[in-house]
Amino acid sequence: MGDSQYSFSLTTFSPSGKLVQIEHALQAVGSGQTSLGIKAANGVVVATEKKLPSILVDETSVQKIQLMTPNIGVVYSGMGPDSRVLVRKSRKQAQQYFRLYKEPIPITQLVRETAAVMQEFTQSGGVRPFGVSLLIAGYDDNGPQLYQVDPSGSYFSWKASAMGKNVSNAKTFLEKRYTEDMELEDAIHTAILTLKEGFEGQISGKNIEIGIIGADRKFRVLSSSEIDDYLAEVE
Amino acid sequence: MGRMTELPTKGGFSFDLCTRNDMLLKNGLQMPPFRKTGTTIVGLVFQDGVVLGADTRATEGPIVADKNCEKIHFMAPNIYCCGAGTAADTEAVTDMVSSQLQLHRYATGRESRVVTALTLLKSHLFSYQGHVSAALVLGGFDVTGPHLHTVYPHGSTDTLPFATMGSGSLAAMSVFESKYREGLTREEGIELVAEAICAGIFNDLGSGSNVDVCVITEGKTEYLRNYQLPNPRTYISSKGYTFVKGQTEVLSTKITSIQPKVEAVEGGDAMEE
Repeated sequence: MGDSQYSFSLTTFSPSGKLVQIEHALQAVGSGQTSLGIKAANGVVVATEKKLPSILVDETSVQKIQLMTPNIGVVYSGMGPDSRVLVRKSRKQAQQYFRLYKEPIPITQLVRETAAVMQEFTQSGGVRPFGVSLLIAGYDDNGPQLYQVDPSGSYFSWKASAMGKNVSNAKTFLEKRYTEDMELEDAIHTAILTLKEGFEGQISGKNIEIGIIGADRKFRVLSSSEIDDYLAEVE
Repeated sequence: MGRMTELPTKGGFSFDLCTRNDMLLKNGLQMPPFRKTGTTIVGLVFQDGVVLGADTRATEGPIVADKNCEKIHFMAPNIYCCGAGTAADTEAVTDMVSSQLQLHRYATGRESRVVTALTLLKSHLFSYQGHVSAALVLGGFDVTGPHLHTVYPHGSTDTLPFATMGSGSLAAMSVFESKYREGLTREEGIELVAEAICAGIFNDLGSGSNVDVCVITEGKTEYLRNYQLPNPRTYISSKGYTFVKGQTEVLSTKITSIQPKVEAVEGGDAMEE
């Protein structure tokens, strides 16, 4: 990549000091499907809309929430293919960390490395920034944690956050509903209610996805029937 | 626009140092002894899955380096691998393939298959042309059933109902050849594996100490570390030892006093800041 005639960065400063490409990337995220995450006292929940482009798409083949390690999961808002590339790189980095230190990678380390990759693509030659924001959720020796990583490569730890289309309403809703001593089960209900707020159409286990991790430190994606059970509880 | 950086190095193993090592050996250099696992490792297929077994002695030439090392390595929740040969090589290669299998599991969303581990191992070992001294017994249970393979340092593999590797392989194989039959039960399988490993422990100098067993069946793996301990320490005196002064013969005495080299002087000028 360094040798080619096109090895200059496509992301350059505007006179006002902004990186316009990153602003545009955030736009791409902002028009993506809503996703959110909530950190409870004993776990983390992440959730996202799963609106498929047509009823003909086989929804069982689509999974937006992915595992990076047995105890760290990730959800995105924005361009699906970009998130796949990041997840793939992060998985590899987690394995390399384990090979070197014989310790499962701490969440902060994995977030840092993922963010570093995203930043690289805002400065390297011939590439564009990633059109996704990620919510990374996990449970390690420092307890339950939730991080958001943006296309610029900046990351923040959140108690609860939302991204995508309905972000402002969702965040307002979360601000009202969030409590420090929330249990994981309450957090799941709150996540569903938050998604329901801006949802167009009938919400069901087939058009949303939920991932949870508790004190057992095993991240898992709920099945659509489990989601339907939670939806029934919430009604 | 000229080249800003040099070309990236081409991949592949560089054999330069191997030719240098051969030259040094010819000129009379004594190679330092590798820590080898000596070893008796075995595996067999029984009616519900596979049983793997290994001894626990690691040797460095004529010295026992580790009396209770672990030779049955984790590859995947449903696949384990026994390793004989150079300890560092078996550790490194099994760790590496285990890592690759985990990435593959995330990418495919499926349980790992034994043939996948087998192919990853043999391609790696072949590319190093036998210089990675790892002889392995790979066993596991996947969607296609129970599997048992042996992998040799040069990269060849066999698929077998029962297998032994390592310096104690002949002792262990004699047990298998006389007592193995198809359709063994779990208890019979474990007993036979333990017997074969004991044959290696007692008849081969490179193998010793304890018996490790690993049973892999559909959906369940049991790692029985130190399943048998046929070589317990029996000579520690519980009372301890007392040594009376004068018991050790003094051959000569030399006393050297340490003279002070630096003298502290009181007063003097204060240091300039």
